[in-house]
Amino acid sequence: MNEPLNNRAWLGVLPVLLIVAFSAVIPLMTVVNYSVQDIFDVNTRLFVGLDWYRETLRDPRFLDALLRQLTFSGIVLAIELPLGVLVARSIPRDGRWVGLILVLLAVPLLIPWNVVGTIWQLFARPDIGLLGQLVNELGVPFNYTASPAHAWVTLVMMDVWHWTSLVALLAFSGLTAIPSACYQAAVMDGANTWQVFRHVELPRLKAVLVIAVLLRLMDSFMIYTEPFVLTGGGPGNSTTFLSQYLTSMAVGQFDLGPAAAFSVLYFLVVLLLCWLFYTSVIANRGNEP
Amino acid sequence: MSRGLNHKGGYKQAHWVLLLYGLYLALPIYWLLRLALQSNQATLSGGADWTLANFAEIFSNPVWYEGFANSLSYVAINTVISVSVALPAAYAFSRYRFLGDKHLFFWLLSNRMAPPAVFLLPFFQLYSAVGLFDTPLAVALAHCLFTVPLSVWILEGFMSAVPKSLDEMARIDGHSLPYFFFRIFLPTIRGGIGVTVFFCFMFSWVELLLARTLTGSETKPIVVVMTRTVSASGIDWGVLAAAGVLTILPGIAVVWFVRRHLVKGFALGRVS
Amino acid sequence: MVLANRVFDRKLRMAEIQLSGLTFRYPGAEDATLADLSLSVRRGEAHALLGSSGAGKSTLLNLLSGLLPAPAGSIFFDGGDVGDLEPWARKVTQVFQFPVLYEAMTVAENLAFPMRELPAAEQRRRAEDVAERLGIAVALKVRPAGLTLVQKQLVAIGKALMRPDVSLVLLDEPLTAAEPEHKWQLRQTLRALQADLGATMIYVTHDQTEALTFADRVSVLHEGRILQTGTPEALVATPDHEHVGYFVGSPGMNLLDGEIRSGRCLVNGAEIGHLQAADGPCRFGFRPEWATLTVESEEESATAGTLPVGVRATRTLGTVRGVPHGLVIAEPISGQGDIELVTRQDLDRIVAGPAALRIDPDRLLAFRDGWRIGMESVGSGS
Repeated sequence: MNEPLNNRAWLGVLPVLLIVAFSAVIPLMTVVNYSVQDIFDVNTRLFVGLDWYRETLRDPRFLDALLRQLTFSGIVLAIELPLGVLVARSIPRDGRWVGLILVLLAVPLLIPWNVVGTIWQLFARPDIGLLGQLVNELGVPFNYTASPAHAWVTLVMMDVWHWTSLVALLAFSGLTAIPSACYQAAVMDGANTWQVFRHVELPRLKAVLVIAVLLRLMDSFMIYTEPFVLTGGGPGNSTTFLSQYLTSMAVGQFDLGPAAAFSVLYFLVVLLLCWLFYTSVIANRGNEP
Repeated sequence: MSRGLNHKGGYKQAHWVLLLYGLYLALPIYWLLRLALQSNQATLSGGADWTLANFAEIFSNPVWYEGFANSLSYVAINTVISVSVALPAAYAFSRYRFLGDKHLFFWLLSNRMAPPAVFLLPFFQLYSAVGLFDTPLAVALAHCLFTVPLSVWILEGFMSAVPKSLDEMARIDGHSLPYFFFRIFLPTIRGGIGVTVFFCFMFSWVELLLARTLTGSETKPIVVVMTRTVSASGIDWGVLAAAGVLTILPGIAVVWFVRRHLVKGFALGRVS
Repeated sequence: MVLANRVFDRKLRMAEIQLSGLTFRYPGAEDATLADLSLSVRRGEAHALLGSSGAGKSTLLNLLSGLLPAPAGSIFFDGGDVGDLEPWARKVTQVFQFPVLYEAMTVAENLAFPMRELPAAEQRRRAEDVAERLGIAVALKVRPAGLTLVQKQLVAIGKALMRPDVSLVLLDEPLTAAEPEHKWQLRQTLRALQADLGATMIYVTHDQTEALTFADRVSVLHEGRILQTGTPEALVATPDHEHVGYFVGSPGMNLLDGEIRSGRCLVNGAEIGHLQAADGPCRFGFRPEWATLTVESEEESATAGTLPVGVRATRTLGTVRGVPHGLVIAEPISGQGDIELVTRQDLDRIVAGPAALRIDPDRLLAFRDGWRIGMESVGSGS
């Protein structure tokens, strides 16, 4: 776009700015405002600086929830990314089945998140669920409401079921952009399947995979509904992640200050993770011309 | 190029991966359907009787079908707002260079990274303050936080794929900007708009937290109705499952309509 | 493969190719893309496949390389049937319309990939040798993203020659993506390399200039069959088929409807030459360079052996070896569409109006049902 600056274009952007300002900026400012105050009631406030932040960072429940969250995000990313790419590679690139396959793949992405939780709640129950029954029949006393390990396994299986399609669809769109000549050349070079993946497909998937990692990282970090419906955060608080902890704080206790500080920290952590990942990718790109 | 091309690692992929994954996706949904079509006694005892009573309950009980109506209304409002607002912005990003354009773009995207939980409190206060609490508009606007940046991103991608010569030709032909935009430009990015609707739907229809926070008894969305059912005494598995099945149907309809543009959509319009 | 101090000191021993009776139809297509096609390419020959888009060139390439299976007909490399062999087993390499390289590898690694079974030292020597010949030695440590389009295509060409036992190099319109000013340079480099190494190359193109300047022999592909195979000179002087005459040469051959009676070539009653052939209607063909024009005003009315025409326009074509050439567009009085004429005559003397066209009788050709008279046997069998 070697065009001269045209600042009248701001007119086009104005509606977006207004909406986002209303939806984001004002609430965020409110949150930041609350986070540095101790609010006794509507009219009584006290500026406390960074007190709430310090308290939150020292709160063992916060740190536990953060650790659980990092573990969860790490696990699901580690499964969903390779699996999604694997699935994408096995989708036919043309032919009459492609449309149908893409539709079926996209379905899990369009199910309300509480329904996702409900589906797996039912599916994994030892009494009326197919999975629960099957596993118990195989000899494992499976019960996700009683055992934290089982709860985690069910949660991970649910998230993989829910979101792998996103990675697969993103990767598929990247793969379809590869000209068939690249495959032909590789075949003539006698490349095997792994070499084709490594030398032809992977370099061209990098951009798409960055988007996939960013999206999954962000979204898994913000997850609330599905685990809430499936396990309610339990047994105990073994599956209580950050969003749920924050929600219970904000809604249940009306302690606006700490909740606000928590919110700001939460947002910053997500931003930090994304920034870390993004810059590492850019740095890597710097090594290649 | 030529069909039937035999190259390793590409078309002749291991289709068994796809089949296994498809099975993994299908089983829980099949199970849901089964529970929806059975009575609760059959479910708990392990037998099998087939009945449509659960679905009948949903269609006849206002709590349920109003829930659906409420959800559909705020999703529709959100989609209309998001697309309307995103179109001029995306056009601006695509066709013009202006002061701060790159920074604005990235700032917009960063809003997508905000955890909804962070906004519970301020949204509750904000929307109550302006009297929008417990209206579909509140949820629609709240969801805009996430759907608008994504819409701008997607639409910009699709618009950038349309050569600027089209704009120039229209200008030479003497068409005004509005005429060009609505009569000539929009039809060429029909697919992009469809994909945008898909992504708006993909966020707004499925979200619970904000929808729950900003609605009360007047506009209870279906997602809330379903979760409230769980906390009642004795869970009505059949009806719950039937409601679940019905919430999947709109999604299937939306994706079916845009299936031809899905690939371009996930490439965010930038198909090389 | 013989090892030497300079790896490519001796010529490569590549294959001789024989195709016969090759027929191919895409599933669901009404017409066959290739119909009963036969072709033979000599060892070490630079062979061009010339045809317009959609003539089946890419299909033929894919059949040669093994990317497409050949359902009917046979493909022989050095006398051995390769029909069942995969591309890697046939030892065929290909250069594509745009540079196809492994983006994440350096140029050296790209060159090394087809010969990865060789010891490292050997790989390095071969890569350096060909890189020097192609003028890309400086780029060996660079990734493709840092190269120009022409450099990338040169790497692709080099890579196609790296495999130690390569039997055949296919080139699918390799100059398409290059800017016009680079095409010539690429073509020269390719030609020199091919001659030095004695590589069997099949070069597919729709550009007849490329074909005629690159190849030892050219095959013209039209509607799924090879119309003619021959040296560039033969194709220009004695095209076997109307389409060859029309397609080869710029501008192409002129065609006039007429008939032969008792050995006289007649166009609307005007005699333009003599040919030994059976009586009957036919089309006469002559290249723009084979005719001269006499303007009526300078001579008496049309003399015997000329065709009355009306000059419509002239255009300068520039100079060839210092001699100005011009294009004259004329139309036979009897009407039949335009004839183009390339002449060294002074264009100023040629004005619109009646004129007499004289075709060199030694070069005049006649065609029936598309085939040059005397070549009918070729048309039916092939």
